[in-house]
Amino acid sequence: MTTILQVRDLTVTFPGRRGGTPVTALQSLSLSLEAGESLSVIGESGSGKTTLLRSILGHVPPTGGAVRLFGADLASASKGELTALRRRCAAISQDPYGSLPPTLTVLESVMEPWLLVHGEEERAEGEERALGLLAELGMADGDLLRSKVRFSLSGGQRQRAAIARALVLEPELLLCDEPTSMQDASTRGDILRILQKRQGRGMSMLFVTHDLFLARRAAPRGIVLHRGRIVEESATAELLASPKDAYTKALVAALPRLGRA
Amino acid sequence: MIAVRNLSVTYRSSEREKRAVLGVDLAVERGRMVALAGESGSGKSTVLMAIPGLLPATAATSGEILLDGRDLLTCSEAELNAVRWRRIALVPQGAMNSFTPVLTVGRHVEEELEVHLGLSKREARERIPALFALAGLDGGLAARYPHELSGGQKQRSAIALALACNPEYLLCDEPTTALDVVTQRDIVVTLRRLVDEQGVGMLLVSHDLPLAASVADRLCIMKDGRLVEEGEPRTIVDHPANPHTRALVGALRELEEAP
Repeated sequence: MTTILQVRDLTVTFPGRRGGTPVTALQSLSLSLEAGESLSVIGESGSGKTTLLRSILGHVPPTGGAVRLFGADLASASKGELTALRRRCAAISQDPYGSLPPTLTVLESVMEPWLLVHGEEERAEGEERALGLLAELGMADGDLLRSKVRFSLSGGQRQRAAIARALVLEPELLLCDEPTSMQDASTRGDILRILQKRQGRGMSMLFVTHDLFLARRAAPRGIVLHRGRIVEESATAELLASPKDAYTKALVAALPRLGRA
Repeated sequence: MIAVRNLSVTYRSSEREKRAVLGVDLAVERGRMVALAGESGSGKSTVLMAIPGLLPATAATSGEILLDGRDLLTCSEAELNAVRWRRIALVPQGAMNSFTPVLTVGRHVEEELEVHLGLSKREARERIPALFALAGLDGGLAARYPHELSGGQKQRSAIALALACNPEYLLCDEPTTALDVVTQRDIVVTLRRLVDEQGVGMLLVSHDLPLAASVADRLCIMKDGRLVEEGEPRTIVDHPANPHTRALVGALRELEEAP
């Protein structure tokens, strides 16, 4: 097995606003991911999940500890090396309104990463891939695909277009932050199936969510993040069935569920 | 009682017509909570916004919306303004992000009391602690600006705002969306308490079927503008009769009961 991601004792502290107390977003966090493996990160707002995803891509310098991505230490990587490492990853942000270029058409916005990497000469293949992905995600309407993102898409559709955009380069590591938050129940299942298909072909995934049911569906293993620390780490099914930490217990208890009579 | 009878709403623009709601019947009684669930675009919010007459001008409405027998659809703006806030109050979608950033959240509530109930500044200020407590908030937070509060605290402030004029009915549009699960649960408990202890009649619109079913007395499922199923939540969840409801429940169960 190849370890594609290793986070060791990662601490990230942000300076306080207007000379206030510094904020520790992540505290001695360690995790690792093998090629083809997936991990659910269960966390609510303020847990440090966004800082974690940003740190993995080298967008936030660590205050302590280290991140190794595909074997390379991010702290000592050159700008060019960082770009090359990031190109093997893709991220889906929790805000689909900020993650698609609003002036492009839906199809262009999904193809854009492909064109940036492969150039105009491979446009035809990029278009074919983008159309395939969009169709898989239930967006095959030609009029919709050729209209501008900002005029025509609902939140849920934006989110699906953002997923297509993230997958178009076939990333080795997908980092997703609540990628199905705006989807209806049936579509959510479709998206998870699409992601699982890629995982079957070797893609690794970090799946951030506050919904433990989704966490279980997305990955066999999970960590629970609370105030920048991992408070529990286990099989996701185990986290749901017998949570040990008080915070995990509260999350499980609060989960809306249909249950059985 | 609010009785919605055979409500249809069509949005008209120059190019097209969209029928958003088709022949919906619905009743909200005091001291009871009715939840309207369904997928995005099913027409839930349109039904909710039609009740206090807050649909955009492009919406053509037919049917009746009876408040204790009086049809709100035939009321003038002035008559509706006497009903809004005082009898029927609203927690609109995205309420927590709709506060004016330059006013404290408490000031928002005071302003409403001054404008709608004609209270003096001082009288209005004196009512704040009790209103915030009803919404499950520490009265001290009233002096904070919206950006100084968490999402849950802002949402509770929006509930306090809706409760200001002691309304008989509260219409809540996705009041827990975009909040953490623990906060969601706490907000729902607060809403349920308003129904049980204050006798508020509540219409809760939510795309979250498990959440809606867990808290409401009655559950209505909408699909493509129509009300496709209505009944006691446990019955619907355990024995969905409509094919769409069955699919919805099936998709949720698949996630909930995965091996």
